[in-house]
Amino acid sequence: MTRAALPRVVLRRVVRTLPVLLGIATLNFIILHLAPGDVVDVLAGESGASTPEYMAALRHEFGLDLPLYEQFLRYLTNLLQLHFGFSYRQNQPVLNLFIDRLPATLLLMLTAMALAIVIGTLLGMIAARRPHSWLDHGVSVLVLISYAVPSFWFGLMAIVVFSVHLHWLPSGGMVTIGANLSGPALLLDLTRHLVLPASTLAIFYLAVYARLVRGTLLQLHGAEFIRAARAKGAGEWRVAINHALRNVLAPLATMAGFQLASLLSGAVLVESVFSWPGLGRLAFDAILARDFNLLLGVLFISSVLVTLLNMGTDALCVLLDPRMERLA
Amino acid sequence: MKAEIFKIDWPVVFAIVIPLPCDAPVSGAAPYMTIQRRDLFLGVSHLTLAALLGAEFALPAEAQAGAETPSKGGTVRIAVDEPTLLTSAFITTMNIGMVSSKILEGLVAYDLNLKPIPALARSWDVAADGLTVTFHLRSGVSWHDGAPFSAADVKFSLLEVWKKLHPFGRAVFANVTAVDTPDADTVVVHLSAPALYLFNYINTYGAQILPRHIYEGTDILKNPANVAPIGTGPFVFKEWVRGSHIQLERNARYWQENQPYLDGVIFRFIPDPSARTAALENNEIDVALGSLIPVSNLKRFADKSKYQINTDDGRFLASIFLAQFNVRRPYLQDRRLRQALLSAIDRNALARLVWQGYAKPAMGPVPSSVSQYHSTSLETYPFDLKKAEALLDEVGFTRGADGIRLKLTLDSGSASSLEETRAAEFIKQAWSRVGIALELRTLDTAGFLNRVFTENDYDVMISSLHALPDPTLGVQRLYWTKNIIKGAPWTNGSGYSNPELDQVMQEAAAEADPAKRKALIQTWQEIAQRDLPILDLVELTWTTVSTARYHKVTSQGDGLFAGLQDAYLLPQS
Amino acid sequence: MLGRLFANKVALVGLLLLLIILAIAVFGRFWFPGDPWEMGAAPMLWPGEEAGNPLGTDFMGRDLATDLVSGAGVSLMIGFVSTGIAVVVGIGLGVISGYFGGAVDQGVTWLVELFQTIPSLVLAVILVAVFKPSITMVVIAIATVSWPPTARLMRQQVQSLRHRDFVLAGEAMGMSHTRLIFSQILPNALPPILSVATLTVAHAIQAEAALAFLGLGDPNVMSWGTIINSGREQLADAWYICGLPGFAILLTVLGFNFLGDGLNDAMNPHLRDHA
Repeated sequence: MTRAALPRVVLRRVVRTLPVLLGIATLNFIILHLAPGDVVDVLAGESGASTPEYMAALRHEFGLDLPLYEQFLRYLTNLLQLHFGFSYRQNQPVLNLFIDRLPATLLLMLTAMALAIVIGTLLGMIAARRPHSWLDHGVSVLVLISYAVPSFWFGLMAIVVFSVHLHWLPSGGMVTIGANLSGPALLLDLTRHLVLPASTLAIFYLAVYARLVRGTLLQLHGAEFIRAARAKGAGEWRVAINHALRNVLAPLATMAGFQLASLLSGAVLVESVFSWPGLGRLAFDAILARDFNLLLGVLFISSVLVTLLNMGTDALCVLLDPRMERLA
Repeated sequence: MKAEIFKIDWPVVFAIVIPLPCDAPVSGAAPYMTIQRRDLFLGVSHLTLAALLGAEFALPAEAQAGAETPSKGGTVRIAVDEPTLLTSAFITTMNIGMVSSKILEGLVAYDLNLKPIPALARSWDVAADGLTVTFHLRSGVSWHDGAPFSAADVKFSLLEVWKKLHPFGRAVFANVTAVDTPDADTVVVHLSAPALYLFNYINTYGAQILPRHIYEGTDILKNPANVAPIGTGPFVFKEWVRGSHIQLERNARYWQENQPYLDGVIFRFIPDPSARTAALENNEIDVALGSLIPVSNLKRFADKSKYQINTDDGRFLASIFLAQFNVRRPYLQDRRLRQALLSAIDRNALARLVWQGYAKPAMGPVPSSVSQYHSTSLETYPFDLKKAEALLDEVGFTRGADGIRLKLTLDSGSASSLEETRAAEFIKQAWSRVGIALELRTLDTAGFLNRVFTENDYDVMISSLHALPDPTLGVQRLYWTKNIIKGAPWTNGSGYSNPELDQVMQEAAAEADPAKRKALIQTWQEIAQRDLPILDLVELTWTTVSTARYHKVTSQGDGLFAGLQDAYLLPQS
Repeated sequence: MLGRLFANKVALVGLLLLLIILAIAVFGRFWFPGDPWEMGAAPMLWPGEEAGNPLGTDFMGRDLATDLVSGAGVSLMIGFVSTGIAVVVGIGLGVISGYFGGAVDQGVTWLVELFQTIPSLVLAVILVAVFKPSITMVVIAIATVSWPPTARLMRQQVQSLRHRDFVLAGEAMGMSHTRLIFSQILPNALPPILSVATLTVAHAIQAEAALAFLGLGDPNVMSWGTIINSGREQLADAWYICGLPGFAILLTVLGFNFLGDGLNDAMNPHLRDHA
């Protein structure tokens, strides 16, 4: 692939994604309509009492009494016009709710990703320096443990240790409300709140990256250019950082792109444990409240985002590829 | 006990004479305690009675009338479940009420005995025939946007909102034929029949007054003020960051001089129960309302020098945890089966184990906090396994070869609290001892409501319901034949229909004479406890846990929905 | 291959771990025969405090040792069954897609991408929450989100085998598609699946715990995730209620991971790193 191929790559991905997005919309529509009860039941239940007439009126207003295919067509048409619907339960347009919560989730995900990549790469490099040594085995076991630990359990235990017993870090939330901080103080407060949730989310992925980096580095160990660099007398670490790492970036980036969807899943759990005000929690509440519009909106927009990010990673790969080609 | 001797039957009082006005400004003493009422039965003078009442009010440990001078300033941080709206005028969700009550107000509030105390209505009287009720409103009150508050707002709220849109308001104000506003401070309500239960439901939770100039002519349910409310209350809405918090600021023009003491209120949403406990311990919040601190964690706050646990704030709701049978099913129709199943549950153990003592075994459909009507002479079905087994044999459900008499399903909503889940497990254990194999089913709210109230496809369901301070409002709906409405949630879902009980309940609703009404409600409870379509298991307590810095001058029976104008924070030491 | 497997220390450790856990799940009921739901003992006893409750009790007075043993059986069963379904579905779709190519392949690829774009836990939560939290639904939900990796791998395998000599020879001989698939392709394509399947079981067990933690487990069944969820409120006082089952999950998942890695190494020696 060359840089000239970039627009083609992007276009191909867009074309491939459209049917997927349509599939997501259809799937969720089907599931939520097959299920007993609807959002009007929830609203009526929460309000404390209701009459069937009132509920029928609500259903008519929400368009829930139309035949299924009509409802679906309505929904699709709205999507095309970028109208993501209105959450009847929260009384707000879905897009607003999404945008409200997006920054929190993005912050969490990106920080977790960064942590995972940095720590994972470090561990992978340490392990790859002396393969099959005790250090390598030790790191491998550590990595496997972090891969296996249930993230929500790790989060709970982290709260017990760092928040309840040591009082070092807050137990949840994103900022200290009402403190009205700004500037560096706000940054510090945010960081303190971010440490535990981001670490909890990162714990699984750092294992993935550590293994990836280790594997890639070991593959390259015997590669020509490294021998050449060694022959030139470059120090061990310089060799690693300058040459090997660059080649790790491409697979790392690809992998990171693929992980985005599962990061959102992880975010649901982590946001639940740490009361982080993000999309994961929003989606979870929407499911329980049968807030169909909100749920579809969140899933749909997230999928679009994931697709865009994947396109970005593809582009990144193309940019990084030329060096890869030189190696082979 | 002292309290009982002086228990005043307020329907008598209101039916007879005018109470004295009580808009005396606050001067360190609790404002609500300057009410004086005449009780003709006792025939004592105002002053003596006031002294006696004062003594009665001083009994509850939390009342701190005039004990300290409130300090001004500070922002209190309260943990709540995130609401969906910020007005309770047409919706009864509890957490909406907990937040909106600081911004919008009602005609009255309720004290620890569930007697009304003035809020926006400073006094009220009822005509002798019970068909006319007059509320005298406070003057000089203004809405947060500067517009003056007047009787027109009350009239609008009653006719357009409470009567038309509020789920209970429709029943509470059903008899209202007309509302007059002879002047800006007076509201005259005309009834077609006496409605004594009305006075039990006119606080900011049950009948919240909305600004007419904002809502008139609009689609009330969709008005943007529902999420950015304008009220008369001690705190003004500032911002709502979804998923995080709501911030309120002090209303400098509040009608009560010198109040509110606080600078502001912040409501924080903390979905995880342990996180709430940790937040309170770490001083990240000052108050956790509405049992948000799980009962299992309450002992961490037992140190009275650091924390207070208030168990009176939710008295108004009179909530009961109950198990309801679908009596449409043939095998559930014999009342002896249901009596046996009640005898098989050790309610004391249930309250102790699941609610850690923060609950009381229920003895009937009207909880003990509704002291006016609660009957202590009912059949209670004490825990007796032998009796249960004998009854079950009698009905014809004998043990099979596997020891099982009958297989039943128990449904609960997945939105129910952890305590309810544990209670379900407890009931499953309890009934397995008498040979009933219980399968537990949970569904999300929509599925649960659909299954119980639309499809009627269940054997037993568990739920918590508010009995409210008046049986006509909270209890009748569960037993009334006319309230068997397919598709509507929280109606008579059991399908129980007893013309005799219907008659009693209908008469009690329309009865103007308090003594006769009490007798009718006694009969009502006897019938309900004999037929047992619903097993009333445990009377719930709503706990408010707060740090020692947080104080509230008066204790209220509807403390969950208190405006907090009399709340203050001691300075940090 | 087996020789290489047993030579791999890590895989052996994994296998050992799993055998121990399996033994506990199967035979543990003899040591702790009680009803896991029985609320007989004093609540909130720490492990070792009372002889009769070696691992302590939970908030309702249920013996944790009995609960953990019973939970082992449940978690393992759910893990195995849902993986079984996922693997069968994955193999089926992968084979069809890799063998027939063309429109069928496009269709299956679209399906795989669809299921990999929706966050898997969110989809599982939707399915369970909306239909009915029961063991059946949990198994179906987990299977529904677990089949894509198997399908992708199978597709790759079948595609690479499709045009190999022995397959072409079979075609030339007039073998039917079914015979070709079952007699020639599958036996060669399946071995790597074993490794993926092992890892899928690990994921399934974690997924079940996550669902139970979110309150969506079957209320009639005590699984490890259910115990963690019930102990969530007692984190500050009695963290062992969350700690022990979480640790059990960790060990089990670790065991499967070790085994899966070992299998991977054993079957792909050429991928092993060289010093």
